[in-house]
Amino acid sequence: MASYLLKRILLAIPVLWGIATLIFLLSRLMPGIYGAELLGQSDSGYFGKADANSREKAYRQFLHRTGQDLPLFYFSLSPATEPDTLHLIFPESERLFLKRLSWQYGDWQLVSSFHNSLKYVEQATPVAQRNRLAPYLQTIYQNPTPKGIERAVTALSSLAPNQVAQKSQLQHHTAQLLEGQNPYAYLMPALRWHGTANQYHRWLVGLAQGEFGTSFRLKRPVSAVLFEAVGTTWWLLLISMVVATAIALELSLRMVRRGGHSWRKAVLPSLFLLDSIPLFVLAMLLLVLLASPAFLQLFPVYGMGYFQEAQLTKAQALGQWLQFMALPLLCLVLANLPYLTSQFYHALTDTANQDYIRTARAKGLSESTVIRKHMLRNALLPVITLLSDFLPALVAGAVIIETVFAIPGMGRLLIDSVLARDYPVIMGIVVLVAAFKLLSHLLADLLYATADPRIRHATT
Amino acid sequence: MRKTQAVLFSLLLLLSFCSQPERQPDEVRVRLAVDPANLNPVNYSELEALQILNLLYNSLLAPDLSYNTLKPSLASTLPEVERTDSLTYFTYQLREEAEWPNGEAVTAADVAFTLKVLKAPYVDNESVKPQVEFIQDIVLYADSPGKFTFVCTGYSPEMELLTGDFFILPSYLLDPEGLLNPLTLQQLSDTVAVAHNNSRIQEFAKRFNTLGSSQSTEQLQGSAGYTLERWAPGQYITLKRKEDWWGTTIGKASEYLTANPARISFQIIPENTTALLALQNRQLDVLDNIPVAEFEQLKQNKTFQQDYALHSPQGYELVYAGINTRQSKLNDRRTRQALAHLFDVGNLIKVTQQSYAIPTVGPVPPDAEEFYHTRLKPYTFDVQQAVALLKSAGWVQSSEGWHRSLNGKREALTLEIIYRAGNTTYEQSALIFQQNAAKAGIPVTVQALESSSLNQRLAAHDFDMFFRAISGNPFVFNFKPLFHTSFAAPGGFNVTGVGTTESDQLLEGINAAETQEEKAQLLKRLQEVLHEEAAFLPLYYRKEKLAVHRRFTNTKISGLRPYYDVSSFLLKK
Amino acid sequence: MSRLFHTLRQAWQEFLAFRVALLYLLLLTLLVLVLPWLPLPFHPNELDLEHVFQRPFDWEAYQQGRPFHWLGTDTLGRDVLANTLFGARTAWAISFPVMVLTTLLGVGLGTSAGLYGDKKARMSRGRALMLLLAALVAFYYGIYLPLQLTSLRFDTTAYTYALTLALLLPGILVFGITPLLKRWDFFCEEIALPVDQAVLRLIEMLTSIPRLILILVLASFAPPSLLLLSLLLIFTFWTGIARLARAETLRIRELPYFEAATGIGATQAQLIYRHALPNMLAPILVSSVFGLASLMLLESTLSFLNIGVSTDLASWGRMISGIRSNTSAWWLVAFPGALLSLTVLGLQTLSHYFLKSSRGNTRL
Repeated sequence: MASYLLKRILLAIPVLWGIATLIFLLSRLMPGIYGAELLGQSDSGYFGKADANSREKAYRQFLHRTGQDLPLFYFSLSPATEPDTLHLIFPESERLFLKRLSWQYGDWQLVSSFHNSLKYVEQATPVAQRNRLAPYLQTIYQNPTPKGIERAVTALSSLAPNQVAQKSQLQHHTAQLLEGQNPYAYLMPALRWHGTANQYHRWLVGLAQGEFGTSFRLKRPVSAVLFEAVGTTWWLLLISMVVATAIALELSLRMVRRGGHSWRKAVLPSLFLLDSIPLFVLAMLLLVLLASPAFLQLFPVYGMGYFQEAQLTKAQALGQWLQFMALPLLCLVLANLPYLTSQFYHALTDTANQDYIRTARAKGLSESTVIRKHMLRNALLPVITLLSDFLPALVAGAVIIETVFAIPGMGRLLIDSVLARDYPVIMGIVVLVAAFKLLSHLLADLLYATADPRIRHATT
Repeated sequence: MRKTQAVLFSLLLLLSFCSQPERQPDEVRVRLAVDPANLNPVNYSELEALQILNLLYNSLLAPDLSYNTLKPSLASTLPEVERTDSLTYFTYQLREEAEWPNGEAVTAADVAFTLKVLKAPYVDNESVKPQVEFIQDIVLYADSPGKFTFVCTGYSPEMELLTGDFFILPSYLLDPEGLLNPLTLQQLSDTVAVAHNNSRIQEFAKRFNTLGSSQSTEQLQGSAGYTLERWAPGQYITLKRKEDWWGTTIGKASEYLTANPARISFQIIPENTTALLALQNRQLDVLDNIPVAEFEQLKQNKTFQQDYALHSPQGYELVYAGINTRQSKLNDRRTRQALAHLFDVGNLIKVTQQSYAIPTVGPVPPDAEEFYHTRLKPYTFDVQQAVALLKSAGWVQSSEGWHRSLNGKREALTLEIIYRAGNTTYEQSALIFQQNAAKAGIPVTVQALESSSLNQRLAAHDFDMFFRAISGNPFVFNFKPLFHTSFAAPGGFNVTGVGTTESDQLLEGINAAETQEEKAQLLKRLQEVLHEEAAFLPLYYRKEKLAVHRRFTNTKISGLRPYYDVSSFLLKK
Repeated sequence: MSRLFHTLRQAWQEFLAFRVALLYLLLLTLLVLVLPWLPLPFHPNELDLEHVFQRPFDWEAYQQGRPFHWLGTDTLGRDVLANTLFGARTAWAISFPVMVLTTLLGVGLGTSAGLYGDKKARMSRGRALMLLLAALVAFYYGIYLPLQLTSLRFDTTAYTYALTLALLLPGILVFGITPLLKRWDFFCEEIALPVDQAVLRLIEMLTSIPRLILILVLASFAPPSLLLLSLLLIFTFWTGIARLARAETLRIRELPYFEAATGIGATQAQLIYRHALPNMLAPILVSSVFGLASLMLLESTLSFLNIGVSTDLASWGRMISGIRSNTSAWWLVAFPGALLSLTVLGLQTLSHYFLKSSRGNTRL
C-alpha cells in the first residue's frame, strides 16, 4: 500500500512540474509586462509628468528590481543573426525594428550603422521638412523590405535639401546593407546558453523552497495573498458542495425508488433546464430577484460584511457571514445540482440492476433498506472519484460568482491578477489548483483501494 | 424530510429579518470599483488608492474642488517663484499649525526626507520618480524650520503644480534610525555615493517597500485629518477622523482643509450592477461612474430621488481620436480633414454618452472661457464634404474604395481603428465611425487591443487611427508633450506626429507667456492650427455621473477627480 | 453504423422529448444554414442610432412599410432578432468544427493509448531519436519561426521558406538519416514506447486546471481571436473523449473475438474500425454533444467576463453582455439567453435519451 502511494506521489510531481513550467513559459512568451502601463503613458495628461528618458530609466530600474530583465530560460533558440545584446536596447519599439532588420539582412554590423545614419538624418532635419519626410521614415520603420528601403531612401535624399553629409552617409550605409544582405540568414538557428541566471530558474528554486515570490501588484508575499483568498473560497466551495451533494443524493434516492417515477418526471427535466442556464445569468437573475428593492429584498447585495465598530461574537460573525454568503451559496448549489444529481442517479440505477439488489428485493427487504443499505454503499464508490474531480472544478464557478457578488476570493484574485499581469500570483494560483486536484485524485485512489480489495491486490 | 423543509424555511425567514445591517448616520459609505493593491503614498497604482491617500496625507498644494483652483494645503501660501536662465527656485513656507499624529510639527526636514524617498534607488518609486526628476536640490533654512526652497532645472508651467503634488511623509515614523539622514539629495543620484551607502539605502528600502500593504496600517499615518481604522482586503477600508486635528485651527483655510465625517468607509464592489443594486438598497452613500442608461433611469425614479441627489458635472477627461500623420496615406491634411468630417459627434454623444458630454473644438476645455476658441467651428458630419476633400487630395473612387498612386505605387485608403479592449465607449464610437466611413466608401476595420499591446503599437507608431482619452485639469495648459515635434520619436507622447514650425513656436510661447492675455491669444491660435491639421480630433468632454445621499451637504461636487470631497461632507441639520 | 441508426430510431419512437429536441435542433440548423438568404430587415452589425434600446414589440415605433425591430435593439440600435439568429450561426460555426476536431483528436489518442499500451509500440532507438528530433525541428520551423515572423511582419516568402524547411528537414531526419544509423548496434536495439503513460499524463496535466481558468490565463497573454479560442478549446476538450475511447479499446482488446480475429490476420486498425468504433460511437456522440453544449456556454461566459471574441462577430455573448451598460434592458438577455438555454437543453435531452436507448440495446 505504502509503495503504491509513493509511486502515485512520484508520478504526480512531474505532472505538477509540467503544468507549472508550461504556464510559466507561455505566460512570459507573450508581450506585456506588469508595470509597463503604469510607468508608460496610459494616463498622460495635458502635460507630460516626465520626459521619455526618465520614464525609460525608471522602467528599466523596475525590470531590474523584479528580475524581469533576465533571460527567460536556461537556453534560447533564435536565429544566429540576432545579436545577444538585443534585449538591452530601449525603447522596445526600437528593439523590435532592429530585430526585424537583423533577421532580414543577417549582418548586425551593417544593420546598426544603417540605423545610426538613419537617425542622424532624422535629427538633422528641421521641423518644417520633417512632416514631409515622415511617411518615408514610416515606411522604413514599418516595412523594411529591401525594395521599400531603397525607394524610401531615394525619396528621402531628394526631399531634404540640406544635410548633405548625413544623406550621403545614409545612402552609403543603405547600399552596403542591401549589398551585404543575406536573405536566408534568419533560417539558421543558434543555441544560446544563459546559465542559471534566468527567470525560470529563480522561480523554480523559489517554488522548491515553498516560496511563490512577491506579488507585483500587492507587494506582499504570494503565499500570504493566496492564503487569504483561499480562506474565503474554501468555505464557500465546501459548504456549497456539501449542501449540493446532500440534496443530490436525496433526490437521486427518491428517483431510483420503485415508486419514484413521478419524482423522475418532475426532477429530471427541471434539472436539465437549470443546467442549461449559464451561471452568470443565474447569478444576475438571483441578484435581481432576491436582493433588489424592485422584487424581494431578502439578502444584502454584495461583499462579506460591513465594518462594525465592536468585535462580533463568533455566533454573530457566523450569522452575518451566512447572511452575506446565502445568495452565492444558493447560486453555486443550483449550478452544480444537475450534474451531481444525474451522476448519482446513474450510479444508483447501475447498481439497481445488479443481481444482489434483486436478491435483496426478493428477500422481501423494505424498499428503503434495499436502497440505503445495499445500493448506496456500492454506488458511492464511483461517487468518490466524482467528488474529487468536482471540487477543483468548482473554482471555475467561483470566478463568476465572486465577480458578480463581490467576494474577495481565489476567483476574483485570478481575474484581477490576469488583468494586471501579476505573474507571480497567476502562477501561484495555477500551481495551487493543480496541486489540489492531484491531491484529491490521490485521495480518491486511496479510498478506492481501501474500499475495494480487488484494487488493493492489483496494485501491490 | 419534513424536518429539513421546516429548517430551511425558518432559516429563510430568519435571514429575511436580519437582512439590512443598521448603520450610523455620520458614516459616509463610498463605493470603490477596485480594491487598491496597496496604499503606499509613493507607489500607489490606482486612482482609488490616491483618493484614500488624500485623506491620510497632505501634499504642499491641493485642488479646492468647490472652485477648481489650486490652493496651498500643507504650505501656508502658494510658492514664490524665481527664475534664472537655467534654474527655477520655488520657495515654500509650511503651515505652523501642521503636525504629525505624534504632535510634532511638520518641518522642512520632512520635505527633504520625502524627496530623498522619491529619488532613492531600491525604493518602489518608479512611477513618481520621473515626475520629480527636475527637482535638483532642496535648500533648508536654519533660522526657519518651516521654510525651504526647491532648486529646479529649466522652467515649465506645470512645475509649480508638480512641486506641490507629492505627499509629505513623516520621517520619524518611516525612518526612525535616520538611515537616510547622512545622505544629501544630490548624492542619491550619484553612483559613487550610492555604492558607498548601498547597505544603508537597501535597508531603508526593504522596510519602506512593505509600507502600504494591508498589514502595515500602523505605519500608514500622515498629517491629514484621517487615520486608517481597518482594512479588510477585498471588502472595505475604513478611515476614522482624528481627534483634535490641527486642520480645524487654521481659520479660513479650513474651508477646504476639512475632516468632517467621523468615519468614511470605502466598500469594494467591482461589479457595476451589484453596486447599483446596493445604491438602490440604500447601502451606499456615494456612487460615481454610474452608467448612462442607469443614470437616466434613476432620474425617473422619484422615490430614489427623495433620498439621493444626482449630479452630472463636466469632467476634464477628453475623449479624442488620433490619426497617424506618418502614414503616407494619411500624410495629406486634406485626407485627415475628410475623416474628421465623417465623425458624427452629435450622434456619438447622444448614443454613447446619452448626451452627457460637451463637444469641444480643441484640447482646451470649453469651460475655460478665457482660453477656449469659441469662434472656431467643429467639423460637421458631412459625407459630401469628405468626398470632395478626398478628391482634392488626389484620391480616386472605384468600386473597391479609394485609391491613388504615389511614386508609381498604388495605395488604397483603408483604415484600421484600434482601441483598448473592454472599453464600450471606444468600441461604440469606432463602430459608429465605421458605419459613417462606409457611407463615404472607406473600408474601416475595428480592432480591440489589450492595453499593453495597444500601448506598444502606439509607441511604435504602428497604427492608422485610435480612440483614447486624456485626463486634464483646468490649472495648467502645457500641450508641448502632446503636440511638439520633439516628442514625436517612438515612445514619445506625441503619438499622432502632428506638428508644424508654427505649432512648435506656439507651444513654446504658451509655456513662456508672461500674461494671461498673451497666453490666451497663443492658445487660441494653437487650437486653430490643430483644427486645420486634423490629426488630433477632440470629440468631447464627458460629464461625470454620480449620486450622493441627501443627508449630506457641502459635498463640493466637481468635474475634477474624485468628483466630490468626501472629507467635507456635513450632515444636514 | 446500423446499430447507431437503430438506436436513433428506437429513441425516436420511444420518447416524445427526443423527438421534440431533435426536431428543434434540426430546424435550428436549417435556419442557420439558410440565414444569409432570409429576408431579414436588418443586418446584425447594422447600427440604427435613431432607435437605441428599443423595447421588443414596441408598437408605438411601428410604421407600415418600414423595417421594424421585432425583438428590440441594443445600445447601438443593432437588431436583437438578427443578432440572436446570427448568434446561433456563430455558435454553430465555432462549436461544430471544434467538436469534430476534438472528437478526432480524442478518439485517435485514446484508441492508440488503449491499443498500444506501454509495451506494444516498439521501435528502434535510432528511429525514436530521429522522430524526436524531427518533432523538435518541425516545431521550430513550423510554429515558432512563423509566429515570430508574424510579429515582425515579414512577407509571405519568408513563411514559405520556413514552412518548406519544416517539412523538408524532418523528412530527411526520418527517412534519410535513420537508415544510416542502422550501422550501429546501439541504435538498432528496440525499445518500447510508453504511449499509454504519455497520454494519461497529458490528460492529467490538462485536466488539473479547470478549463475556464486555463483559458483565462492563456487569454491574458494573447488577444482572444476566433482562431486562438478555437485552438484552446480543441486542446482542452479532447481529454474526456480520449478517456472514453481508451477505456472502450481496453475493454474490446480483452474480448475473445479480438484475439481470434488477430489470429486470422486482420490488422489492429481494421479491428478497431470494425469492432471498437461502433461500440464507442454512442458514448462518444453523447460526450461530444455535451461538449457542444458546454462550448456554447463557455463562449457566452467569456463574453460576459469581457474576454469576448471580436466586436465584428455577432454572437450571443456579445448581445448578453450588453446588459452591463443598461440593466433594465432585459430583452438583451432574454432572447439570446433563451435560445442559448433551449439549444443547450435540446442537446442535453438528445444525448440523454440517446444514451438511455443505447443502454437498453446493449443490455438486450
